[in-house]
Amino acid sequence: MNSPFQYIRKSLSRKLSLWIVLFAAVIFNVALGFMFTQSLKAVREEAISRATKELDNTVLRVTSLLDRVEIATNNTDWLVTRHLNTPDSMFVYSRRILQNNPDLNGCSIAFEPYYFRDRGRYFSAYSFNDNGTILTTQEGNDHYEYFYMDWYQTAKLLDRPVWTEPFFDFNPDDIYSKEMIASFCKPLKDNAGEYIGTISVDMSLKWLSETISAVKPYPNSYSIMIGEGGTFFVHPDPQKLLYQTIFTETLAVPDPEVSALGHAMLNGEEGMRELEMDGVDSYVFYKPLGDTGWSVAIVCPESDIFGGYQHLRRIVLFIVIIGLLLMFFVFSRVVTSELKPLMLLADQTDTIAKGSFDQLLPEDKRTDEIGRLNHSFIGMQKSLRKYIDQLQETTATKASIESELKVASTIQVSMLPRIFPPFPERKDIDLYANMKPAKEVGGDLFDFFLRDEKLFFIIGDVSGKGVPAAMLMAVTHSLFRAASAHESDPAIIIRNINETVCPDNSSSMFVTIFLGVLDLPTGHLRYCNAGHDSPLLLNGGVTELKCLPNLPVGILADMKFVTQECDLTYGTTLFLYTDGLNEAMNKDYEQFGMERVTELLKPCAEQEMGPRQVLEHVLDGVRDFVQDAEQSDDLTMLALRYTPGEFATILSERLTLSCDLARVPELNDFIMSIAEKLGMDAPTSAQVQLAVEEAVVNVMNYAYPDGRKGFVTIKAMSDGHELRIVVIDSGTAFDPTKKEKADVTLSFEDRPIGGLGIFLVREIMDSINYERTDNRNILTMIKNIK
Amino acid sequence: MEVKITTDGKETIAAFIGRLDTLASQEIAPQMNELAEAAGGTIILDCSELAYISSSGLRIFLSLRKAAAEKGGKVIVRNITNDIRNVFMMTGFLNLFEIQ
Repeated sequence: MNSPFQYIRKSLSRKLSLWIVLFAAVIFNVALGFMFTQSLKAVREEAISRATKELDNTVLRVTSLLDRVEIATNNTDWLVTRHLNTPDSMFVYSRRILQNNPDLNGCSIAFEPYYFRDRGRYFSAYSFNDNGTILTTQEGNDHYEYFYMDWYQTAKLLDRPVWTEPFFDFNPDDIYSKEMIASFCKPLKDNAGEYIGTISVDMSLKWLSETISAVKPYPNSYSIMIGEGGTFFVHPDPQKLLYQTIFTETLAVPDPEVSALGHAMLNGEEGMRELEMDGVDSYVFYKPLGDTGWSVAIVCPESDIFGGYQHLRRIVLFIVIIGLLLMFFVFSRVVTSELKPLMLLADQTDTIAKGSFDQLLPEDKRTDEIGRLNHSFIGMQKSLRKYIDQLQETTATKASIESELKVASTIQVSMLPRIFPPFPERKDIDLYANMKPAKEVGGDLFDFFLRDEKLFFIIGDVSGKGVPAAMLMAVTHSLFRAASAHESDPAIIIRNINETVCPDNSSSMFVTIFLGVLDLPTGHLRYCNAGHDSPLLLNGGVTELKCLPNLPVGILADMKFVTQECDLTYGTTLFLYTDGLNEAMNKDYEQFGMERVTELLKPCAEQEMGPRQVLEHVLDGVRDFVQDAEQSDDLTMLALRYTPGEFATILSERLTLSCDLARVPELNDFIMSIAEKLGMDAPTSAQVQLAVEEAVVNVMNYAYPDGRKGFVTIKAMSDGHELRIVVIDSGTAFDPTKKEKADVTLSFEDRPIGGLGIFLVREIMDSINYERTDNRNILTMIKNIK
Repeated sequence: MEVKITTDGKETIAAFIGRLDTLASQEIAPQMNELAEAAGGTIILDCSELAYISSSGLRIFLSLRKAAAEKGGKVIVRNITNDIRNVFMMTGFLNLFEIQ
């Protein structure tokens, strides 16, 4: 790239101006070119017509001159032949011609030698004009034998009138020196037609030359005349006169054009030729001179013909070029000033690009496109400022939401049990759970807790992810805790959760839940599945826990959920998970799938791994599968292993009573005897008596309403470490553990009269547990005794 | 189970002897109604020989306390054994009664 090109490229005004000027130049060029061509043609035609006319005129004038000479000659010729008998009259006639034609130089009436016997050998009556005075003399003598002269001989030999080639008049007396003469010679004949002499009229060529040279259509044009041999006898250069022919110079330097012109002129042609004459481009117009065999030509230098035209053209071109330059300059300036706001815009855009939005472009009052652009730009600046402000606000809000999300996440995680193993003091149950949220906060939940001798556990998956899911999850979690505080039937707990969630569920979210209640003393598992994946049982092999599908929670408010039951045998591990496990995806969007889950769990079952190892094993397997792919869903797993201890009974007694309060003392005696056998101290014994009495009286009072008769069986067992007392009846289903705990801090006015019985049982015993099996209420109470 | 009710001026003393279990509570109900009539004054429940009390017994005590409160009297529990004190403690009764 050279720099002028870049200089123009950099500026729109220069570019625009250049284009306009270039375009104008093209138009001017075409228009002027056309005009010039036409003018040239016109000038040329005009020149031709003018020169031709002049030439015609000249030829006409010369011809008329020659004609005059010829006529004068003819007139005299007649007289001469009439008066041959008087030789002296010849002098008169000769003199008369000159008198009648003062512009002629001379006239000879010459006769053959001895034509007039008496006059001797020579007789030629000769008159000549000597500066206005006509002198007449007898011309012939021994020094001037006129009858040998060309002018005499030519007419005689040709036997017709003829113009001689011009010549310098030869005169022995030197009277006409340097006078160039052309003569019209006509043979004289007597009545018999015999040749007797020649009459010759001399015409000064100077005069002819003046006549011809007077023709000057252009200042530097000139005329030439050539004779029959091509000799110049009219030419502005006297050196060439008579000494050179038109062909002379072509002999040294061949010039076909000049030669052609010469031949054309000699051939008596008429026309016009363009050629170089003496080194000057010229137009030559030529025409023959009557019958003389002479030819006249006007040489007009081209510079003369087209001089004015060329001058005009130079001026016009000069004006156009100056005009175009001026145009370029003016356009450049005008466009630059018009585009000035654009420069401002460009500067402003740079400012904006640097991140500064504060400065507004000054308002432009223009109404054209640039004015509009200016307005739009200001509008854009304002909007940009507004949007940036909003964006900053939004960003700040987002940041605060994000930090709140983190808090929410922390709260969520803190709500879930996170101390493992959760029940280190218990040998019959080991449990491990883990949740990996896909986003900041997850929609999965798990929870478990022990109430009495029952393990309540739940795993759930809220539809969707993120904050709304987490909120529903938190609600579900709280509801689970609340609903299972006094309820041990999974279906009822889920139903309670469902009834609470449904009316408020405006966002149509739902939760799949698996809820289980494991009775630890017996291994009896009650569970309810609300649309969740069936848990797996690891017991040597891997099997699926049979589950009714039910509907997820949050869909139908009056959905009836069904509790299912089964018994866990020693060493069985229950594996619960959310679909984040089987639907975990790798980079190729391939799902992990149940088959892989089952395969992973098989070795766990075979090796009787603990819950923690099982989960870690599965997590490792999932990680290997997913690799770097982003976690697509929350992944939650819960495994619990049931290993009930052997109860080595050292004491086992039972007592069955009819439901009659009168039998209460028997009960007390029964317990007292057992306490004695186990060597319990008196206060403990008294407390156990109280607890058992309260439990049994409870049965007696409420198990058999409407006066039905019934029995209550009390079993007492001990392995030496703990005393287990089981109260069994076949009455109405009644779970005393559901009863709310009495508030012992109330003042007496607010204290209800009743409600202390079960409270005392709980207070005294280390653990109580209610089960209803085979239409029997089974209440197990355990007291550690050593 | 035996309840000896004696009146000494403004004070009515009820001495519980034996085990106040659920059955006994039913048995002494009439006597307790009698005692409740004296709730306008001071009722002293002498528990020095009370070996055992069940929740129904506690209920009787609480009923007396409420009756006394209604009639402007007061109930004093006297000489409770450690076992009974334990039960009182568990149930919050220690705060409801004036214990001597």
